[in-house]
Amino acid sequence: MVHGIVPPYLLARIAELDDERFAVAAQAARRALRYDEPRRAARLNFSLDASNNLVVELTDGPNRTISDAQNGETLPGEVVRREGDEPTGDPAADEAYDGLGATFALFSEVYGRNSIDGAGLPLDATVHYGVEYDNAFWDGERMVFGDGDGEIFGRFTASLTVIGHELAHGVTQYTAGLEYQGQSGALNESVSDVFGSLVEQHSLAQSASEASWVIGASLFTDEVEGTALRSLKAPGTAYDDDVLGKDPQPAHLDDYVETDDDNGGVHINSGIPNRAFYLVATALGGNAWERAGQVWYDTINLDLAPDTTFAQFAAATVRAATSRYGGASAEVDAVRTGWSTVGVETGDDDGLRV
Amino acid sequence: MTDSESDTWSISVVRTGGFAGLKREWHVGSADAPEVDWRLLVDACPWSSVARQQPAADRFVWRIEAHGGNRDRRATLGDANLVGAWRDLVDRVKTAAKD
Repeated sequence: MVHGIVPPYLLARIAELDDERFAVAAQAARRALRYDEPRRAARLNFSLDASNNLVVELTDGPNRTISDAQNGETLPGEVVRREGDEPTGDPAADEAYDGLGATFALFSEVYGRNSIDGAGLPLDATVHYGVEYDNAFWDGERMVFGDGDGEIFGRFTASLTVIGHELAHGVTQYTAGLEYQGQSGALNESVSDVFGSLVEQHSLAQSASEASWVIGASLFTDEVEGTALRSLKAPGTAYDDDVLGKDPQPAHLDDYVETDDDNGGVHINSGIPNRAFYLVATALGGNAWERAGQVWYDTINLDLAPDTTFAQFAAATVRAATSRYGGASAEVDAVRTGWSTVGVETGDDDGLRV
Repeated sequence: MTDSESDTWSISVVRTGGFAGLKREWHVGSADAPEVDWRLLVDACPWSSVARQQPAADRFVWRIEAHGGNRDRRATLGDANLVGAWRDLVDRVKTAAKD
């Protein structure tokens, strides 16, 4: 049984259409029905063209399954909502479902990527993991969200940027494969923050100048002095609290933090490439997911080495911008300036395995 | 050395990483919670055979140190490895440090 928005009987009808006007839809339906291909969800779009003909298009759709760990630590937990199901009434499960949909939409509609692996991989998430669990993570197969302790953190599904961040870890796993340690780990984190922020901007239809550029707004309880967990616009300014201390993120390579904690400070030093992306996006203006986001998306799809450094990643973004927009383009200028402003020079070594 | 001296313990738990990247620390001395058998909890942990774990995205990293019984012990664990005796020790330290 194919779980999807389009029921199989309707796919079969469309597949048999012998009409020029529906040739694309018919071919897509035949492809979706072929059992030797991976099962995938699909979406049907109906519209009228200029001559009042019905136009049917079949596009990629998400295949979401949300489970509830019921405050245990056994994964995946009990399934509470599958693709196409009505809302459960549980905010955590419904936020996870909607957030995965918004993330799928960005990658699918803007970059033409069908899910995490580009081949319709089902999107699985577990909510209510652990007791007062202060975290959300990607375990290589699914997104896992805790409820928070209620004193410092509320539930982790409350911010769309968190859901986008976790799913982007999956995309990085299937593309750049950046090792989660040191500079490559900070780049892995930064890619998740960048696309986590872009998911929210795309969902709210905000331009680069309208966007908040923060990660994890509304995660903190009212007790905490802080707006969010991280700021791409101004790393180091997201919070300043008696109990938590001050946001430790650097905004420039000169302030890179050498530490053994947190796999070499991956959540701290990500501030440097985060700000580079913000600078590129605001220099180009308009919607950040269009040109700046496209360059970053193209970059993670290059054959990057697992231990890519900041400088190599920066050089790879120049290569990506050059191949898409040309060497004398505003995009390449913005990319070079963005990186040099945060102290990362874009040399020739992009470390690509070509 | 008397038994009471050799059963003086100082244990610290440092949690880093996680989505938030916030560092949390808990410390406990045996005098803070004399009713707990810290030696039993510490000795139950496999300090010398901690499995090397691949870093995982946004998961916590735990650094655990125990000083006492004439020895210093130190281990770094990924969140998925914080089970069994390790989990028991960390939970007791967190509880004792809260009081």
